[in-house]
Amino acid sequence: MAEVLIKNGVVYDPLNGVKGEKKDICIRDGKVVESVKNPKVIDAEGRVVMPGGVDIHSHIAGGKVNSGRLFRPEDGRKGVEAKTKVCRMQSGYSVPNTFATGYRYARMGYTFVMEAAMPPLAARHTHEELVDIPILDNAALPLLDNNWMTMEYVKSGDMDLLAAYMAWMIKATKGFGVKIVNPGGTEMWGWGKNCSLNDSVPTFDVTPAEIIKGLAEANEKFEMPHSIHVHTNMLGHPGNFEITKETYDLVKGIKPEKDRQVMHTTHTQFHSYGGTNWGDFESKADVIADYINQNDHATIDLGSIILGDTTTMTADGPMEYSLYQITGRKWTNHDVELETGSGITPFLYSGKSPVNTIQWAIGQELALLVKDPWKLALTTDHPNAGPFIGYPIIISMLMSKKRRDESAEDMHKVIYDRAEYCSIDREYDLYEIAIITRGMAAKALGLHEHGKGHLGVGADGDVAIYDMSPEERDAGKIQKAFLNTKYTIKGGQIVVKDGEVVATPDGKTYFVTPECDDTLTDEMMVKLKDKFDRYYTVTYNNYAVQDAYVPNPYEIKAPWRS
Amino acid sequence: MQTIKLKIKDNVTSGVAKIPVEVDSLTPDNLVGKNEAEIKAVKVWWGNKEENTGDLFDVSVDGSAGSADEVKIVLDGDLSRVKRIGDGMTAGEIEANGDVDMHCGAMMSGGKITVKGNADCWAGREMKGGELVIDGDAGANLCAMYRGEMTGMTGGKVTVGGNADECVGQYMAGGEIVIKGNARMLAGLNMHGGKIVIEGDAVMPGADMTSGELTVKGTVRDMMPSFKLEGTESIDGAEYKKYSGDLAMTARKAKGTLYVR
Repeated sequence: MAEVLIKNGVVYDPLNGVKGEKKDICIRDGKVVESVKNPKVIDAEGRVVMPGGVDIHSHIAGGKVNSGRLFRPEDGRKGVEAKTKVCRMQSGYSVPNTFATGYRYARMGYTFVMEAAMPPLAARHTHEELVDIPILDNAALPLLDNNWMTMEYVKSGDMDLLAAYMAWMIKATKGFGVKIVNPGGTEMWGWGKNCSLNDSVPTFDVTPAEIIKGLAEANEKFEMPHSIHVHTNMLGHPGNFEITKETYDLVKGIKPEKDRQVMHTTHTQFHSYGGTNWGDFESKADVIADYINQNDHATIDLGSIILGDTTTMTADGPMEYSLYQITGRKWTNHDVELETGSGITPFLYSGKSPVNTIQWAIGQELALLVKDPWKLALTTDHPNAGPFIGYPIIISMLMSKKRRDESAEDMHKVIYDRAEYCSIDREYDLYEIAIITRGMAAKALGLHEHGKGHLGVGADGDVAIYDMSPEERDAGKIQKAFLNTKYTIKGGQIVVKDGEVVATPDGKTYFVTPECDDTLTDEMMVKLKDKFDRYYTVTYNNYAVQDAYVPNPYEIKAPWRS
Repeated sequence: MQTIKLKIKDNVTSGVAKIPVEVDSLTPDNLVGKNEAEIKAVKVWWGNKEENTGDLFDVSVDGSAGSADEVKIVLDGDLSRVKRIGDGMTAGEIEANGDVDMHCGAMMSGGKITVKGNADCWAGREMKGGELVIDGDAGANLCAMYRGEMTGMTGGKVTVGGNADECVGQYMAGGEIVIKGNARMLAGLNMHGGKIVIEGDAVMPGADMTSGELTVKGTVRDMMPSFKLEGTESIDGAEYKKYSGDLAMTARKAKGTLYVR
């Protein structure tokens, strides 16, 4: 019986309401327990102790991440670390290799990461890479919105059959939930176009609004742990905040099956833009934050900017093309048969650029203006707004008004006129940081019921011990502490000690099995098999991901809602 | 003044596989102040194995040096699989007697390298300063950027006695390159600074250039249509046509100068 006792730590465990209390944590056989008899003792000596971090949205595995690596050899020159007795060779900054991804997250105290966009046809590749990432527990969200089957069922209004299709796809891809990326827009990109929320997608005659609403209804037909996860239309376009608000309104009337949001909208920074062009571009974070404050059905994650070079990658093909037209740098594009697409282009976020400066402000303004931290999660939409190793920078900004003022001085002066950034005095405390980096994400994903994001009895023994006292106010020291933990413990095993990775156990892959009625599934299957026969390059029999691709499975069953 | 002679042992490159040796650790900066035994113990990569210099090279040392400026390294034997000669060096001198493999003089910022033979691809890659003289031919991507980067050579001088392969000075931002012979396709590709002189012929020179100066003294084949004739100019008594470009990069950015006879 492997037992661990963490003594003398100051614990922040928001899901259990523990707000900076001196408290011992006992772990036996990888789970938190009431007491232990003969444990290995870790003296936290008054340091900050939190549950293992949970990242709700990050791109760490799959076709486009791997294409990003191939496409950016210059990124692979950064962050090179030779192999050690424990670790394999690391390289890359915005598109790190799989090993570096696992080690760096673990060093920041994270133990669960959601791969946020899995093209269903590339599910095998995604799972192969997830298996290759050490330490982290993981899951992946299949893209189901630009899918021909989805659009046809939305058009015909057969919501039960849409639910059957959704269920089959999530099972076939060993996915976790429903991901929506620029609904309709990626299909339109196949015709060289894009579309907004209420435009009709030709050949299917549906609007993105109908797709979002349809999938939200289908999702709530099951007891799904997570809501629909939405990248709204017109990402990165000036004036898109109206579309974002309208998207939230779409699902307002839908009742969630569980005690959670009906819609999670991701990287909201990219969707909170005012103005009519890049010249009069301004922050509308206040409008979006007001909406979130007044409504309880939608949650957000930030997609906060990290200044510097990065690699943007998304299933939103037309957006990547727009970005390429702005920068003139290299660009690549991919079509995924009747499902989705993707694009990749490098991007430099510069504090000298007025547009990038406002983007920087928006990401943090959202966090500062949304009153209830349970409605938002910290992300950088890694690597789109910046690599995940920039999280500690954002944490230090949110915790220190002084640091924000100093950063504003180095940025373009528009930060004083076209954003509220400098007039907001709020400072996050460690409890709120714990909410936006673990508690909220675990709850929004429904993983708190499966031992993630908290330290109550029965939870996973995932703990981060940060080398700082709860009284620390120096932003530089806070940033340093959140970059490299004193200890990261994963399932009761010490994986990071003094900022160094000391063990690399395999992570588990969480997947959901929506349980759909056989009659409905059979009826849906007629149409699906026809799609395979007529259009797919693979056959139906070769499509679904076999169990062997998920060697460390954790299955969550989602029964049909009675 | 100190002279360090390194003669590669016959067995190193005589195998069927011809496993390359990477000698970026054998620079004047790194060897100054070391005696023969210490030099023999310096590590070099041979394929995927780290070996002692003394196991791959016959080492002899003559004289002594107080700084890297006073060190001359002479490489002998079959150097055709010896990569990264003088990679990152800042001072002193290296003489390579024979054909050398890729990345000779990459990232160098000072000192001098003389290659008495041909140099394979990527010689002078991202070079910052110093001098590189290649008596024979140069391979592709001479003085170019690392794959994916947007800056190549930024300083120093490179002279090639023979011909050069494709993409001489790709993304070059500074410094000077002289090719005595011909250059193959796309010399000065994406060039945005510095100066290239090709004494022989060139094919499609200056494509996508946005700044810098490129002179072709021989014949140009497949002249890019996106260059604008500005007039004529006399250089060393000969008449040259002066073009600006590359307009394919938009008129605002097309600040490069191309001289063609």
